[in-house]
Amino acid sequence: MPYPTDPAGIAGLWIAWLLMLMIYSYPLYKENPAFRFAEHTYVGLMLAIMLVRTTITTTIRMVGPPLMQGKVWYVIPIILGFMMFFLLTPKYRWISRYPIAILVGAGFGLGMRGVLIPDITNQVISTITPPVTGAGAVDWWNYIYIAIGTICAVMYFVLTWEHRGGMGYATRLGRWIIMIGLGAYFGNTVLFRMAMLSGRAQFFLQVLKIAPM
Amino acid sequence: MSEELTFWEKLARIDRRVFYWILFIGLMIPFIRPIMFPISISPSTRDLYEGIIEMVEPGDVVVMNIAFGVSAWPECMPAFAACTKLLIKEGAKIIFWGAYYDVDLSYEEVLRRCEDYFKDLKYGEDYVYLGYYPYQEAAVAQLASSIRSIFETDNYGTPLDEIPMMKNVDKATDIKLVLSGDTGDVCDYYIRQWRIPYGVPVAEIGIAMLGSSYMPFYKSGVLFGMSVGVRGGAELEKLIGEPGEATIRMGAINISHILVIIAVVLANIGYFASRGRRR
Repeated sequence: MPYPTDPAGIAGLWIAWLLMLMIYSYPLYKENPAFRFAEHTYVGLMLAIMLVRTTITTTIRMVGPPLMQGKVWYVIPIILGFMMFFLLTPKYRWISRYPIAILVGAGFGLGMRGVLIPDITNQVISTITPPVTGAGAVDWWNYIYIAIGTICAVMYFVLTWEHRGGMGYATRLGRWIIMIGLGAYFGNTVLFRMAMLSGRAQFFLQVLKIAPM
Repeated sequence: MSEELTFWEKLARIDRRVFYWILFIGLMIPFIRPIMFPISISPSTRDLYEGIIEMVEPGDVVVMNIAFGVSAWPECMPAFAACTKLLIKEGAKIIFWGAYYDVDLSYEEVLRRCEDYFKDLKYGEDYVYLGYYPYQEAAVAQLASSIRSIFETDNYGTPLDEIPMMKNVDKATDIKLVLSGDTGDVCDYYIRQWRIPYGVPVAEIGIAMLGSSYMPFYKSGVLFGMSVGVRGGAELEKLIGEPGEATIRMGAINISHILVIIAVVLANIGYFASRGRRR
């Protein structure tokens, strides 16, 4: 985004800069009215934009044209959508359960459609397939680590037998593997937050024209 | 009377705000004075780069799915822009669409960052922007069976049948590959609704947080490549020979990591050194 030259653009940039500082006043100082104002403004604006954008996309772009062409069955999802609003009235709340049931059913059906192969079959094949000819020591280490790690981590959730003796050692190792996995996940989460923060630090400098926009 | 704190106890009790201030200021340094570190290429990024080069022939239609908001630009945008440049170099025709309500801003930012590449391309013949699709997995599934059932027109109201590059494109089988820029689980939908039923190759351009989530899919060959966060963006910038924002941002990321490591080490030293005293 180049540095704006029009008054509205410049005003928008500085408002964003000030709101950002208000938000960061919470971690950098303490909770205060400026932070709460910025927080509420952000949440309200975001929801409003999302609501308007989704409604316009649905009604004008997706459902409107087919309805105008005489495809009257496109009115069904609109009716189902309106039925959702009965959730707000205790007396007729039961009506909202029908669209919710359809949503949940469709969601499960769509999700199950392609979940077996990538999430189960391919993972099992990938885990038990040894490295190809010419693979290095690192590849073999990864293969053994993943194979043993997967078995032990799965064993941790086997509750039919008591985790004692040989089973106890395997499940303890499984627990360590899970903790390492969760640690890696958390590390990546921190990495993501740092990147977001670096984006804000860059924006802070860009508005002041210390860094190029 | 309060007990006097030892040096180690004071170390373990440093106000977190001190660390936040140091972090925030430290992150600014690379944007004022870039700090360049050598960047090695990870296998997942190399596979993404080489996969595009090997699979895409001039004229192939590729989908670029924008499933990240403006807030995730620092993470996703450099890699997304680098992949767009690479696709244009390979002569691909690109369909942009997105699952975030602020997708228009992200699309415009892609155009801006790849300005030199788009200046010779013609809208409607070489690339098209279809806009925002809500409803996540249901919409992605429907897009696979018929793009026109979701988008009758492009984002500017032109019917798809009147757009030259869309004339023979309507189903997943008409698409060469999908690159999904994500902050959430939208790539899962493309795996389930495009990769598995139709065999369309899918790659992920995700935030760092998704690296460990999608690694099993990459390792098992479900994803042909994967770019992870700013690091992936910097690697792609290196591969296409155009160091840019992600390369500079890696300096900030490295500083933040060094600070986090120092904080963790100091806090642990403080904890273990004062533990004996507490006992």
